[in-house]
Amino acid sequence: MQEKIVAFTNLLRKSGIRVSMAESIDAFVSLDELSLDDREVFRDALRATMVKRSEDIPTFDQLFDLYWSAFYDNLRGAFDQAVGSMGGEFDLEKMLQAIQQGLQNLQGEAQEMDLSELAKALLTQDLSQLEQLIRQAAQGAGTERIENMLQIGFFTRRTLEQMDAEGAGKQLRDLARQLRESGLPDAQVDALLELIDKFLEALRQAVRNYTERELQQRNFDYMEKFRRESLLEKSFYNLTEEEIRKMREVVARLAQRIKNVLSIRRRRLKRGKLDLHTMLRRNAGHGGVPFELIFKQRRKDRPKLVILCDVSSSVANVSRFMLQFMYSLQECFTKIRSFVFVAELGEVTPLFKERDISLAIDRALEGGDTINVYTRSNFGHAFHYFWQNFLAAVDNKTTVLILGDARNNYNDPRAWCLRDIHNKAKDVVWLNPESPSAWGFGDSVMDKYLPYVDLAEECRNLKQLSRIVDRLVL
Amino acid sequence: MFDSVEDVVGQLGRQGYICGKNIGTVVYLATMLEKPVLVEGPAGVGKTELAKVVSAASGRPLIRLQCYEGLDEAKALYEWEYSKQLLYTQILKEKFAEAMTGATTLKDAADRVGREDSVFFSERFIVPRPLLRAIQSPEPTLLLIDEVDKSDPEFEAFLLEVLSDFQVTVPEVGTLKANHKPLVFLTSNDAREMSDALKRRCLHLYIDFPGAELEVRILEAKVPGIEQRLAADLVGMMQRLRKLDLKKTPSISETLDWARALLALNAKELDEGLVRDTLNVILKYEGDIKKAQGELGKLLVKKAEEPAAPAPPAATPAKKGVLH
Repeated sequence: MQEKIVAFTNLLRKSGIRVSMAESIDAFVSLDELSLDDREVFRDALRATMVKRSEDIPTFDQLFDLYWSAFYDNLRGAFDQAVGSMGGEFDLEKMLQAIQQGLQNLQGEAQEMDLSELAKALLTQDLSQLEQLIRQAAQGAGTERIENMLQIGFFTRRTLEQMDAEGAGKQLRDLARQLRESGLPDAQVDALLELIDKFLEALRQAVRNYTERELQQRNFDYMEKFRRESLLEKSFYNLTEEEIRKMREVVARLAQRIKNVLSIRRRRLKRGKLDLHTMLRRNAGHGGVPFELIFKQRRKDRPKLVILCDVSSSVANVSRFMLQFMYSLQECFTKIRSFVFVAELGEVTPLFKERDISLAIDRALEGGDTINVYTRSNFGHAFHYFWQNFLAAVDNKTTVLILGDARNNYNDPRAWCLRDIHNKAKDVVWLNPESPSAWGFGDSVMDKYLPYVDLAEECRNLKQLSRIVDRLVL
Repeated sequence: MFDSVEDVVGQLGRQGYICGKNIGTVVYLATMLEKPVLVEGPAGVGKTELAKVVSAASGRPLIRLQCYEGLDEAKALYEWEYSKQLLYTQILKEKFAEAMTGATTLKDAADRVGREDSVFFSERFIVPRPLLRAIQSPEPTLLLIDEVDKSDPEFEAFLLEVLSDFQVTVPEVGTLKANHKPLVFLTSNDAREMSDALKRRCLHLYIDFPGAELEVRILEAKVPGIEQRLAADLVGMMQRLRKLDLKKTPSISETLDWARALLALNAKELDEGLVRDTLNVILKYEGDIKKAQGELGKLLVKKAEEPAAPAPPAATPAKKGVLH
């Protein structure tokens, strides 16, 4: 049992659930306190001690089922079927009794009956012993190294060899022959021989099943990990619905992290100078002796954000996620204004405030009732419009975040607008879906804008975005 | 305290807290292993309530520490009682003078004062806050650290120290050790992920929204007098409602509120008008209510197919009764 739990712990670790040494010890200790008859209690105990993140619970449940429950049931099923297929009047109990009788007769003749453990387990239908033997043999055969479907046959064979299934079969057949010689009725011996064949077949099936299960367990974490990692790397341009949903979760997590960092920062900054006035008043009760020191609370330095997001068709897929990012940001920060532009520029802050995320993004992509998106992008015009109408929204505590590819269709970039914005703002950050090597080539005017940007980054996938997010806040 | 997992479930049930075996197992383990329990889950599924009923069932007094941003040691552990110290100094002035008589040099006087300073930094002048109270209590207690995710990371680190040894060092007094290890429950709403170090020291319990059957049982236990049929309809509707993509998913406490509201309205049946009027009991956002109203047909239709003869007039007089 202990080994099984250790193996299960390893399996959890391989699947990306962090289980520390202390936690697996807790699991052992807790199992001592419980009766293990109830599978649910057993599962809950393991879960409570080893799984500490609610996101990991589904993984744990699936692995638990794969590892603990189904195999024994499956084994039982295979052998029940073997017995069941023996025909109507066959009775396993009676057969076993007859064999017992026969064995005693044989031993009376002082003939040494040397059955292997496997043969004994098969004959007496000791399924838990059988399970144990299969596990050991599989370990000997190295089944845990299985990697793909094609190896199932190979490892099944090796496991069977390891447990010497053939030898056990031979021993059992020998036993049947001896029983026949010792005077057991032919009909029963024939039935026994048939049963032995069926049992061996059932064993083969069970081992095969075990091997498949092993493969599933290996693959489970492999697939999952593969999916997660590739998702982070994948560019925004080519995503399926399912991936978009996952991406949404990640964006939400990023936003959460920003919030955490903010809270720490705010706390560190909280204590300011000594507040003499309040301190004297507060300590009047102590006869004016300043026992309690009172400090001025520093004003909370909430970041202000102004976001300009390009929603032209050339960056359609990226801007969907940028808008999502924008939406999440708007949920975290209070002082934030969001704009979308193609050639015209329009504010979508109220839209984001009132609408659900998906609806708001869809509306924003259509221009948010304020702009026409079916034009060719013109960054210069958009910046100029912003400069004319919204420059007041920018002050020395404001970070201006621009999301776009700076493909200006050979229009006038009007970089001086951005210069003025830059001069007023705390920071100007530009996230560009194109790689830096493409900046300034063709109709890209990124190079014209670069002097007025404090931080310009390529941002095409979540990994890059999350890296930038750290810099953005700190 | 508890004999087995079933015993836990039974005893909690007697306190009016209906739960499944998963909760029972964790609570049982916590008492046997003397380990803190970190309870997570959506708001309103009964995390805090669990600690309260365990306290009632086990007879341990409940000591509660509510966490919030800015909570620090002085508010959670102990504080020196400055004014009392000051008062004592004033009253004992003469005694000091006595102690000082005969001191010839300044150094001698200072030494004498030094010898006595432990008088002022003794347990007499400590105001114990929840954590210290739980540690010092002569009888075993249950310590509830509520909404630990709202506290700052620094406080969490400090909490670690307390939870691992159940002892506190007050520099001027020495180390205070727990007479009895308190049973500790920490609750979290997942506003912030707790550190691995803290999680490692705790048993983890995730309480999710209950299944339909369990929720009906909870409803019947908490709202006596509710009709079985109404309870079943109500729970069915809640379960479907939770599948919608809502800003704030209604949880058990909302179910109970709603049931009480319907009971007060004398309702015997759920019908569309009634649900429409009382939706604001369970949904707390305008957007959510609009969405639910849009789906109301779907949410109720399934139910209407099940009972053979729904009696819509039943609700109308009931509402009239309230209006009068």
